[in-house]
Amino acid sequence: MHAALAIAAKDLRQRVRDRSAIVVAVIAPFALAAVFSVLMPSGGNEFTARYTIINDDGGPIATAFIDGPMAALTDAGVAELVEVASEAAAREQVDAGELDAVILIPEGFSDAVLAGGGAELTIVGNTDATLGTEVARAVASAFMDELAAIRLSVAAVLHAQGGAPDPAYAAYLAERAQRSVTPITLAGTLADSRQLGATTFYAASMAIFFLFFTAQFGALSLLGERRGGTLPRLVAAPIPPWAIVGGKTLGSFVLAAVAMAVLVVTSTVLLGATWGDPFAVAILVLGAVVAAMGITALITTLSRTEEQAGSLNSIAAVTLAILGGAFFPLARGPDILQQVSLLTPHAWFLRGISDLGPAGTGIGTVLLPLAALFVIGLVSGAIGLARAGRLVVAR
Amino acid sequence: MPAAGTSPGGTSPVLECRDLRKSFGDRVAVDGVGFTIAPGETYGLLGPNGAGKTTTISMICGILARDSGTVSVAGQPVDVDTPAAKATIGYVPQDLAIYPDLTARENLGFFARLYGLKGADAKARIDDVLAVVGLTDRAGDRTDQYSGGMKRRLNIAIGLLHRPQLLVLDEPTVGVDPQSRNAILESVEALGREGMAILYTTHYMEEAERLCHRVGIIDTGTIRAEGTRRELVALIGQRDKVKLTATGDLAAAARSLADFAGVADATPNDGGLELIVDDARGALPRLLQTAADAGLAVTTVEVVEPDLEAVFLHLTGRALRD
Repeated sequence: MHAALAIAAKDLRQRVRDRSAIVVAVIAPFALAAVFSVLMPSGGNEFTARYTIINDDGGPIATAFIDGPMAALTDAGVAELVEVASEAAAREQVDAGELDAVILIPEGFSDAVLAGGGAELTIVGNTDATLGTEVARAVASAFMDELAAIRLSVAAVLHAQGGAPDPAYAAYLAERAQRSVTPITLAGTLADSRQLGATTFYAASMAIFFLFFTAQFGALSLLGERRGGTLPRLVAAPIPPWAIVGGKTLGSFVLAAVAMAVLVVTSTVLLGATWGDPFAVAILVLGAVVAAMGITALITTLSRTEEQAGSLNSIAAVTLAILGGAFFPLARGPDILQQVSLLTPHAWFLRGISDLGPAGTGIGTVLLPLAALFVIGLVSGAIGLARAGRLVVAR
Repeated sequence: MPAAGTSPGGTSPVLECRDLRKSFGDRVAVDGVGFTIAPGETYGLLGPNGAGKTTTISMICGILARDSGTVSVAGQPVDVDTPAAKATIGYVPQDLAIYPDLTARENLGFFARLYGLKGADAKARIDDVLAVVGLTDRAGDRTDQYSGGMKRRLNIAIGLLHRPQLLVLDEPTVGVDPQSRNAILESVEALGREGMAILYTTHYMEEAERLCHRVGIIDTGTIRAEGTRRELVALIGQRDKVKLTATGDLAAAARSLADFAGVADATPNDGGLELIVDDARGALPRLLQTAADAGLAVTTVEVVEPDLEAVFLHLTGRALRD
């Protein structure tokens, strides 16, 4: 064990002297997190659209739409409804970018719905606010689809009674149907955009992005020892071969864990990031370090040279960060991307940090992300360590 | 040729390797190599690049797993997974196995820990080996500021840290300036005199002749011949040549010298005599006395001895540096 400690201490001394390692491990991720959180204060997973509704109908169905799904959006903080005097003024504000969209409810809309005739809502969106427009369109479309389903149900009931419908009973059914419009719940649609502040999101995403550059040092240095001629001398020393791999692993783990800890503390103190319960964050960080070390060890030991390993690790770091939602929130991407992201440590780490939230929930809420991180790390790391062992002793 | 500190056959060998074999795929790198080294003996593995020297010593030092054969150092079997036995060996690789971003003292301190040296003992040994290789004054400098020769000396110092019973030096003077090369050779000679067993690989014939009590000539993975320089030269039937520049009765002197024991031939030529003898250095005083007795006035003497280069050429059909 003393040999592994000696190798780890030597590696750490070399890394500390190599200022570029400090830049990659701490300074670059902190600086980028700071820049992103300043430039994009509403970035991350925060989203609020500004709408206005021009209600020329005033009937019960229009009221149901406004009090139902649109109210749910505003209650969730996803939308803000703005009062505008007229349709023309609303269109001007949309064109000017002051509103994301205007929802036009034409006169006779409710009557047309109740009479079973054609009825439509019009969404006028700002071309630069595609997400806001899409949300409004999706909510309106869902409302209209549900109205159609209810209308069919009412017609089916009346048809089952046979003969001419009793006007009073038909009115009763219509009123019940109107009240039965399903309130929109945002929990499902926003499940992947948990409420992380921009600062915390960028601090966490930059931390795990650069972690992949820090965690590769141990495996890379094994190739470096081989290139530099010191590996045979280590093997010739009276130490077991596993001590060499163990020392490299330990040094890399300490460097990566310390770098992450420094990032968590500095982003909290200097940027105001809210990571959540310290113990749970610490365990999540350890899981991320294990995952990053495992993947980079696997990639490095599949490489012939340090240069090749460095290039492959860089490609993997960027690709996994993109797929894992470290550069942009996954909620804005297609469903397939959200599924693929589950293969990346980045997605699980960010999900874990999001699950913790600032409210102080503990480690119990992040058991799934933790398990995923450790499984990714241990599986890839086991293969990497086996290959590293073969690098050490030539056979 | 140095005088051997200890007779190879007189004591238990420090190194004993038998029938070492190693192949890389279809290529046979080492094929049945075996030799012994006694305490205080310097054994040279002489051969061109690619002859199998580094592969052989990698197996001896437990760096490379062998296909077959045995290695023991100080009575302990050595293999890749025998850490304790490796403590008996000091390995100085051909490549500079030092960390350029650490100082000489930090490099030595790191390897001292790997060899189990601690505290005051480690510090004392570090100071000792720094003195041996003449780097005490520069011990606090990062080694990327060292000259090539200084790096080579530090490379050797690391191998000496733990007082090994067997020091293995793999071409330690490659790429070194003449001054540093001489310093390295003097250090090796001094270590041999102190009783350390040394395995020295080189493709420089002069180094093998200067340092080694016995030499194994290795080529294409096999030891083609082994022995002292004189034994190896005798293998190819060549003798020493002595050229005398002299005045006097050259023909009469040639007849007298031809009867001298160990002289195979004595021929007068323009301005002197040319003698073919078995051991020129040993016989030279008596040869000169005989020439003087024959009335010759000798003005210059030149001794030409067959060297290991000639032996290698004879055994392999090519030169050492081919």
